[in-house]
Amino acid sequence: MENSAEEMFHYYDMFATKGVDYLLVLGILVGAIIFWRFLNMDTSR
Amino acid sequence: MNRRTFLKVMGSAVAGATCGSLIRPAASGAQGVFDANEFFGILIDTTRCIGCRLCEKACAEVNYLPNPDISEKANQAVFKTKRDTSVIEYTVTNLYETEKGKVFVPWRCMHCNQPACHSACIVYALEKRETGHVTWDKRCIGCRLCMMSCPFQIPKHTFQEPAAVIQKCNLCYGRFLQGIVPGCVEACPTEALMFGTRRKLLEEGKRRIAQNPGRYINHIYGEFEIGGTSTMYLSAVPFDQIGLRTDLGLKHYPEYSMVYLSAIPFIAGLTPIAMLGIAHVIRMAKKDAKEEHHDHHEEKEKH
Amino acid sequence: MEKLETVEIVKEKTEKREIRSFGEFWRFFLSELKPKGNPWTPFNLFSGLIMLLGFIFIIYRFVTGLSPTTNLGQEYPWGIWKGAVVNSGVAFAGGGYTLAFIVYILGMERYRPMLRETVLFAFLAYVFYAGALTIELGRWHLFYNPFIGNKYGVSSVLFIVAWHFMLYMVTLALEFSPAAAEWVGFKRARKVLGAAALGAVVFGVMLSIHHQAGLGAMFTMCKGKLHPLWYSEFMPVLYFISSIYAGPSVMIIVSSITQKLYAHRVDEEYRNAHPGIVLGLAKMCAATIFAYLFLQLILVHHEHDLYLITTPMGFWWLVEVGALAFVPMLLFIHGVQQKNLATINLAAVLALAGVLLNRLNNVFIAYNWYLPLSLKYYPTWQEVIILLTIIFIDVWVFRWIINRMHVLSKPPEWARMEKH
Repeated sequence: MENSAEEMFHYYDMFATKGVDYLLVLGILVGAIIFWRFLNMDTSR
Repeated sequence: MNRRTFLKVMGSAVAGATCGSLIRPAASGAQGVFDANEFFGILIDTTRCIGCRLCEKACAEVNYLPNPDISEKANQAVFKTKRDTSVIEYTVTNLYETEKGKVFVPWRCMHCNQPACHSACIVYALEKRETGHVTWDKRCIGCRLCMMSCPFQIPKHTFQEPAAVIQKCNLCYGRFLQGIVPGCVEACPTEALMFGTRRKLLEEGKRRIAQNPGRYINHIYGEFEIGGTSTMYLSAVPFDQIGLRTDLGLKHYPEYSMVYLSAIPFIAGLTPIAMLGIAHVIRMAKKDAKEEHHDHHEEKEKH
Repeated sequence: MEKLETVEIVKEKTEKREIRSFGEFWRFFLSELKPKGNPWTPFNLFSGLIMLLGFIFIIYRFVTGLSPTTNLGQEYPWGIWKGAVVNSGVAFAGGGYTLAFIVYILGMERYRPMLRETVLFAFLAYVFYAGALTIELGRWHLFYNPFIGNKYGVSSVLFIVAWHFMLYMVTLALEFSPAAAEWVGFKRARKVLGAAALGAVVFGVMLSIHHQAGLGAMFTMCKGKLHPLWYSEFMPVLYFISSIYAGPSVMIIVSSITQKLYAHRVDEEYRNAHPGIVLGLAKMCAATIFAYLFLQLILVHHEHDLYLITTPMGFWWLVEVGALAFVPMLLFIHGVQQKNLATINLAAVLALAGVLLNRLNNVFIAYNWYLPLSLKYYPTWQEVIILLTIIFIDVWVFRWIINRMHVLSKPPEWARMEKH
């Protein structure tokens, strides 16, 4: 338990989410197209 | 630190404080200009603290605050709750039940190397002095962004006063200019508090850790926390057990707002140009469309 | 028929008037101060009573400090004034720059009828809501320090925000000043002020980007104190994006109300254009909320906060982002598709509730979320009264100006002639 600072070493990956981030962005871009077409759909008549 | 070295260090520090200008670390971004290790600070050895609260009494005397009752009986009641500093107590001692028994922990302003309060202050009423002291000035307008920003919740506002003030430990800046150590350090009977430059304090802290194997955990709280602080802690137990936040990270706090602040000139310079460009292009396009329309009509007329 | 006649009379009056001396202006101003119509309506009585009470509390607060009237404390230094009046109020005034951008930069002339109303609303919001900051300052007698240079805290986000508030107020005043010049009959001033419009708009949009984002940037140093689901280093961007849909949402509601209540002041052109403008703004709001939700999604994932969704604060976050941002987006889409103004108004109300909740969360609900319930902040009734007072003053002044100047109708003939 003593000198725990050295023993508590663990690697923290700052970029662990990056891969999924990019996938999310791609998904959103595709979603944006669908969103825009849906928004401009005129159903009032 | 003995008296002689203290005075020697003090002499040079006073010269620096009076001749040099006050630094604005976050404003100028001059992080490397002043070596943070030459800031004055306090090393708190929680293994030596006996919870006598003499530091609290001395602090009250030095800063003309209400005198706390530090009799044995009063202490028993006081240590039942975890206290925070307040507008009339710049330092408080708390009792923590840890894996190694009872530990007393004095608590006060951390005097960060790059204080969030200083960089958040709209008029630099809170200032990090060249000597390491974080002090408050009367030009404050009472916006309380310092209170929002301080990760240790140290600045305290006197809400009950019409012309309120911010109250916090200033590491006895006035006494420092006279060449006297802070009141709490002077009063401490067990030398749990030690005053000096960060360089000396870190050296001393590391020496104590090395010479007393098993007595301390191998870390000085405040050496790297949020970019380093001038109040530092030695402990026998992990720091989260004695009420110190270990989730604050190693980044200077002002750096979090730096992203926004450094974008300001770019937005200020680029958006007007972009907008005028867009406006111009659209006006031209409209003009073209009108002319085209006009030509079209003329052609029709000819036929 | 009656309504049309009044419009005609007002027009005639403004067109004939030409003021040359200060004394003349003063007499004219005093004559305009008189209320039009019956002042003893239930709303006036109610709001007047609240305002009377509010003024007493404001004076009391100035004399005795913050603690007798407010629940502000060491754990929660900012309360409902900062959250609802300053942070939300400024976002709600975001229409001032979005609509100016649409009309002046993008050249969409069909939105112009709503522009003056929006600029007026934004200007008053800034004057009263940002002005309310003074009530909130602990040392209010020194509020001018950041401006006169008793040390400039240039590294402070609030310094940027304070200066931009001031500059933007001037800019909005400049944008609205043609209407005032028309009202008084300052023909030469009207000409000069009208010419400055594009410059003022460009400057104003730049300032707005800064301080709308700046309100969010004030929280960037609250890391560790603001709940991780709300805290992110991108808070300035979130604040800016949410102001883009908050501003038009407010204007959808405000313009719908003024169309009904001040129908006699609305000219033919605005009345006909109004549904189209609202539809356009609704479309814009839907798209902006879509972008906002995308940002929230990325940030929650990026900052590893997804596991917090199942905690009580996570459910609260879902209320804010789900029920009060996602649902209004769907309603906006539905309203646009169906060309249904009622749905759009409902969507706007929900979206605004979402923005308000977001600001309140940042200021005190999700701030220091780990503290026990006994230490939590909740506003006192005096704080709420003062808050309502500020809003009611805003409404009264807005109403007063709408009843007198060419806000809902085109400028008088002489002003229009000079513009081209």
